[in-house]
Amino acid sequence: MASAPRPERVPRLLAGCLPLTRPTPTVGLVSMEQEETYLELYLDQCAAQDDLAPPRSPLFNPVAPYGMYILNASNLDTALNSNPEVKEASGDFSSVDLSFLPDEVTQENKDQPVISSRHETEENSESQSPQSRLPSLSEQDIGLGLNSSSLSNSHSQLHPGDTDSVQPSPEKPNSDSLSLASITPMTPMTPVSECCGIVPQLQNIVSTVNLACKLDLKKIALHAKNAEYNPKRFAAVIMRIREPRTTALIFSSGKMVCTGAKSEEQSRLAARKYARVVQKLGFPARFLDFKIQNMVGSCDVRFPIRLEGLVLTHQQFSSYEPELFPGLIYRMVKPRIVLLIFVSGKVVLTGAKERSEIYEAFENIYPILKGFKKA
Amino acid sequence: MPGRGRCPDCGSTELVEDSHYSQSQLVCSDCGCVVTEGVLTTTFSDEGNLREVTYSRSTGENEQVSRSQQRGLRRVRDLCRVLQLPPTFEDTAVAYYQQAYRHSGIRAARLQKKEVLVGCCVLITCRQHNWPLTMGAICTLLYADLDVFSSIYMQIVKLLGLDVPSLCLAELVKTYCSSFKLFQASPSVPAKYVEDKEKMLSRTLQLVELANETWLVTGRHPLPVITAATFLAWQSLQPADRLSCSLARFCKLANVDLPYPASSRLQELLAVLLRMAEQLAWLRVLRLDRRSVVKHIGDLLQHRHSLVRLAFRDGTAEVETRGKEPPRICPAPPVSTVTGDENISDSEIEQYLRTPQEVRDFQRAQAARQAATSVPNPP
Repeated sequence: MASAPRPERVPRLLAGCLPLTRPTPTVGLVSMEQEETYLELYLDQCAAQDDLAPPRSPLFNPVAPYGMYILNASNLDTALNSNPEVKEASGDFSSVDLSFLPDEVTQENKDQPVISSRHETEENSESQSPQSRLPSLSEQDIGLGLNSSSLSNSHSQLHPGDTDSVQPSPEKPNSDSLSLASITPMTPMTPVSECCGIVPQLQNIVSTVNLACKLDLKKIALHAKNAEYNPKRFAAVIMRIREPRTTALIFSSGKMVCTGAKSEEQSRLAARKYARVVQKLGFPARFLDFKIQNMVGSCDVRFPIRLEGLVLTHQQFSSYEPELFPGLIYRMVKPRIVLLIFVSGKVVLTGAKERSEIYEAFENIYPILKGFKKA
Repeated sequence: MPGRGRCPDCGSTELVEDSHYSQSQLVCSDCGCVVTEGVLTTTFSDEGNLREVTYSRSTGENEQVSRSQQRGLRRVRDLCRVLQLPPTFEDTAVAYYQQAYRHSGIRAARLQKKEVLVGCCVLITCRQHNWPLTMGAICTLLYADLDVFSSIYMQIVKLLGLDVPSLCLAELVKTYCSSFKLFQASPSVPAKYVEDKEKMLSRTLQLVELANETWLVTGRHPLPVITAATFLAWQSLQPADRLSCSLARFCKLANVDLPYPASSRLQELLAVLLRMAEQLAWLRVLRLDRRSVVKHIGDLLQHRHSLVRLAFRDGTAEVETRGKEPPRICPAPPVSTVTGDENISDSEIEQYLRTPQEVRDFQRAQAARQAATSVPNPP
């Protein structure tokens, strides 16, 4: 689709402060270095004029609903960079001295223009040689590519009727969200993901607690209805309660393992109930060192996955032996989670001590899996 | 060296200090005559200061090859010879075994584990050279359980940090198909069932590739797919005579074990072929079913690339729309209002405890059961 740049979407701030030699730019003729230059200069301007809310709103319009951007500062950078009209003018800024800028900023910005110009090159049939390497760069980085595809999708969605009406409205919230984004930490607490909102569901929580007293397992098995004790098979009492539906292994040392709960709070409640049962049986049970040892989650990405391809590209993390097990075992390093990935698209995540680790692991794996989706 | 003296034989002054097996000697560099020798052993007083070193702290453990390791290395070589592997494989497998043996966990492992380790080393070597050896085959040769084998295999791959490529499907097809006894007439194989090896191999290979493309191979054991493909290839080469033969009978007369999942793989493969047949106009009118499509496998395979693209471009789209709920919103997770710190009522706990009467009954029942089991069989 042709993107004739709309003059009204040119930030008035830029138009006023930076000399533009060509009012109607031909997008795509600008080199990467010049794009960085624009960005840095623009950011300087923004920093200098914090109170100017209106010029920022056009930048937020073409991208996804701003609700998604409240907590993620990296998306904020992308949003700022994705406006194609920023890269309008010709090379008047090659003489600008950038030595005061730290290295990381320039490094980041080298990546960001890649994302935005990717959907530019998709829209324009002709592309100059400096930009011809950009699609390959972004294709290699699937994560960024995903970002750009979601951006370009929402770009096309919001284009039709909304530019004028949406412009004035998100002013205040945008300035708020901007400041909010600059101070809040990067990891979102809610599991809202860019990947169509698939959230892994917790299926099992394993926790341990110390009752801090020696227990007579025979007496417990005799006086409790919900207990089974077979010392020849296993040296612990297996006790079950109905609400929350869990199972506990109670050892004579006073240590207890509680399994089967679907959330951390349920696991804690169940462990307390077991401790109460033991108390009622006459033991001076306490509730010390409750700790969640393992959390298991599962979800469905809803498309089939080429496991053979995944094991080839991610060989150092994956283990796929169809003769032994139908799923691929992916050992993620950060966070330290083991994922079982099946050809149907179902994913099981285990080994987490915190709920956020499961969500983070799924966020990491989803772009990789999308790369192996075959239509 | 000047000042050191002259060689008694040739009279040169070029004397070099050299050591011969850790004994230092003064040697003439011209004629090689040994002028003086160093002391070979320590003196008695020196030896008195030496201390005993235990075997575990000496390097003896590393230098000597223990008997069980020797046995294991012999087993590795024997296994390679039984499987008729090329000679280079033997050396690689032996090297892997030795490498594994350096880890204390392996050295101290049970004999059963060391036996299975032999198989693992051979399997890894074969995989790295694209030699199609299945785990099932190794387990049969070692009389080992597949679960035991799998645990040791995963452990050793992790321990040695190896990069083991996946089983090469094409090679497996070739070796597996060649094992079917259908290429010569015999008392059990009538003439109309005999088939040319090359034709059958090429057609089986095409069918297996088709299965791979259409998601029948990913996540599944490879062998049953190949069995099903071989059967279909064989049937389609002479459908008139062979349609009456079932998969089980086919495996029996070919003298090959029929793996259990092969029949479901066969049905899946036939379903794929039927979908491809729908895309060909002249086959659509024939209204094929699972038996009649076999006659046209040759044509279908000839155009398989475009047919698969046509059949599954629409197919996967319809699968997706069927699978998605109309509004593409994921259902919100059930919000649990448990805080973990709620009050636990006494009555709830009491429901899990036995009343004193119940305890007495239970004890009586237990005692009765004990008495019953301890009494010997009635005469």
